[in-house]
Amino acid sequence: MKRVFVVVIWLGVALLGAGAFGKIAFDRGEPLNATWFVVAAVCCYLVAYRLYSAFVAAKVLALDDTRATPCERHDDGRDFVPTNKWVLFGHHFAAIAGPGPLVGPTLAAQFGYLPGTLWLIAGAAFAGCVQDFVILFCSIRRDGKSLGQMAREEVSERGGFIAQLAVLAIMTILLAVIGLVVVNALKSSPWATFTLAMTIPIALLLGLYLRFVRPGRVLEASVMGVALILFVVVAGQWVADSPSWSRVFTLSGVALAFAIIVYGFAASALPVWLLLAPRDYLSAFIKAGAIFTLAAGILFVRPQVLMPPLTRFVDGAGPVFAGKIFPFCFITIACGAISGFHSLISSGTTPKMILRESHARFIGYGAMLLESFVGVMAMVAACAMPPGVYFAINSPSSIVGGTEDAASATISGWGYPLQTQTMTDLAHRVGELTLWNRAGGAPSLAVGMAQIFSSTIGGERLLSIWYHFAIMFEALFILTVLDAGTRVGRFMVQDLGGRVWKPLGRTGWMPGILLSSAIIVALWGYFLYQGVVDPLGGINSLWPLFGISNQLLAAVALVVATTILMKMGRLRWIWVTLLPMAWLVIITMTASYQKIFDANPRIGFLAYANAMAAQIAAGKIPVEKIAETQRLIFNQRLDAAVTGVLAAMILVLIVEALAQWYSILSRRKEPALHESPYVATRWAADFSGAAHGDD
Amino acid sequence: MKHAAKTTSRFLRRFWRGLREWCGDAAYERYLHSPGTQAGSCRVLSAEEFYVEQLNRRYSRPNRCC
Repeated sequence: MKRVFVVVIWLGVALLGAGAFGKIAFDRGEPLNATWFVVAAVCCYLVAYRLYSAFVAAKVLALDDTRATPCERHDDGRDFVPTNKWVLFGHHFAAIAGPGPLVGPTLAAQFGYLPGTLWLIAGAAFAGCVQDFVILFCSIRRDGKSLGQMAREEVSERGGFIAQLAVLAIMTILLAVIGLVVVNALKSSPWATFTLAMTIPIALLLGLYLRFVRPGRVLEASVMGVALILFVVVAGQWVADSPSWSRVFTLSGVALAFAIIVYGFAASALPVWLLLAPRDYLSAFIKAGAIFTLAAGILFVRPQVLMPPLTRFVDGAGPVFAGKIFPFCFITIACGAISGFHSLISSGTTPKMILRESHARFIGYGAMLLESFVGVMAMVAACAMPPGVYFAINSPSSIVGGTEDAASATISGWGYPLQTQTMTDLAHRVGELTLWNRAGGAPSLAVGMAQIFSSTIGGERLLSIWYHFAIMFEALFILTVLDAGTRVGRFMVQDLGGRVWKPLGRTGWMPGILLSSAIIVALWGYFLYQGVVDPLGGINSLWPLFGISNQLLAAVALVVATTILMKMGRLRWIWVTLLPMAWLVIITMTASYQKIFDANPRIGFLAYANAMAAQIAAGKIPVEKIAETQRLIFNQRLDAAVTGVLAAMILVLIVEALAQWYSILSRRKEPALHESPYVATRWAADFSGAAHGDD
Repeated sequence: MKHAAKTTSRFLRRFWRGLREWCGDAAYERYLHSPGTQAGSCRVLSAEEFYVEQLNRRYSRPNRCC
């Protein structure tokens, strides 16, 4: 009887989800209520978790709770620490949730709400969650080895080297593109710039407190820090209202780019306890708070989604970024559906702290579902504003026109009515000088979030405070990714450089630290600068490049996972990782080809470079602008080369893997699985987990 | 009523413990109670040394994602 009841409940959840999905997909009448998105997403996640993840856990991976996990065998209280599964879920989610699932869906909203929402939900259930879960499992079985180490051992030496290079490449492009998002969020905004600048002294203060006054008392320090940050969000208004201070904090894009580059270098070279770690603590608390507030706000306000399901830009002529739904919607959404970067977290800290193998399902699969839900909320927030306003904020002036009236006319001409006064009023209401041409996703998301927050608490009076809170929240944790990423990139440069020149590999040697920090900062700083000065807005070229590199890393992870499943003798089930891998290879290869060779200068890097070269040859570029244009041509060719190298890396890895798979399938070689030997858990009698807080 | 108060208090205690574990507040206590430390094979670090050492280790590998 109980079983029938359970089946009926799950059938109800599935039917409710299908109904909500149907409403989202086929309703063409009045604007939809955001509740439909929440219901569709949550029901799909529940069914996916209950059925698909259970199937992967039982049949594909055959999780074994009698097997001791790395933290039981090596418990040292430092790296290997047995951790309650809810706490570890929180750790893992805080590590994987970055700006990607917020910015990607916001940018992909230019196609309408439908394609992005479908991919966010389906992509997470069948690709992203599977990748995180399987890689976590593989790493648990190998004492917490990293993706690169697993690629080296299970695929080939060359495979491991390619994985390492892919990580460095994605890191460089990631840091540049998120830097660009921050620049576009802070440009010409004294309030936002002041608020973010103040987070640095606050972090330094906390760093000193945690190091010398109360070592390791993170909670009390974070409470103080969050209070100070909320104060500076409010104080930013006074700075914006003061003509003299406002001038000090009104910075151009290039000035902000250099400020971020200097900050990245400092965060990488300074002791980690002084700036990086305290900022990370603040960011983690504010991130968790803002995400939960956004979810509660959407449920409370239930905003109408004003964006149509499909816009006219499905044809590839979108103003935010150029390219058709296939492959660019998938490349743009990236982290909200599947992120290669997650495989580094799943093969990093988490496997060393997991109590039992069965927790990998909840932590690996479950945390990615939550990340996907963050993406759906970002999509709702972006689509809840009038489409005309969305395009006005996210389109570069080179596309919509140099003046406000010209931009209004262009956007209205697309079928999304917009009055110039609407934008002036909105900018005034959120306390900004202007909201035109603020590509990058952060400002439009902040407007959407502020409208939802202010409808919940404070009304119109607090709209500007909420807007700047949202900007601060996005910029704060983007900078946290930027400084943590720069530091990790520094270690990678030291590791690779140390093979060529030994002293560089010494992580405690100050000249080596400064040199390697300068190298990694110069790498991403160059791309950031080129994005800032790009007449097409930077996001148009850098975000797809980031998406390609991210999805490429996911393909690398799935190649490793497929090889391991094959070696484990799970041939019958390898489609679980093989199909998402094939899909990722198809989209990354198509996107790479189009980004390099497409004849449309807004899509193809080479076509853009050639068009500008032709303009110089035809004498259409003023003499004083020729040097600048030549730099732009070089940048486009560089982007084409980088895209080509990324695509070539995945092709080489696939060839390596295919050779390995052939020798396994043809039984030419005995499959050598590099798992740690089986050790029975000593906690078998204690499976309630009470001793480790697993109650 | 008494039962509800007891349940709430137990929930709050667990939440507090979880929060301290999540943010790293309880890391040093964990370290002191770990088998590796209890075995006494190597010198036990002070709270300050442990804090700095833990941060150096944590931020030398990818721990924040895009």
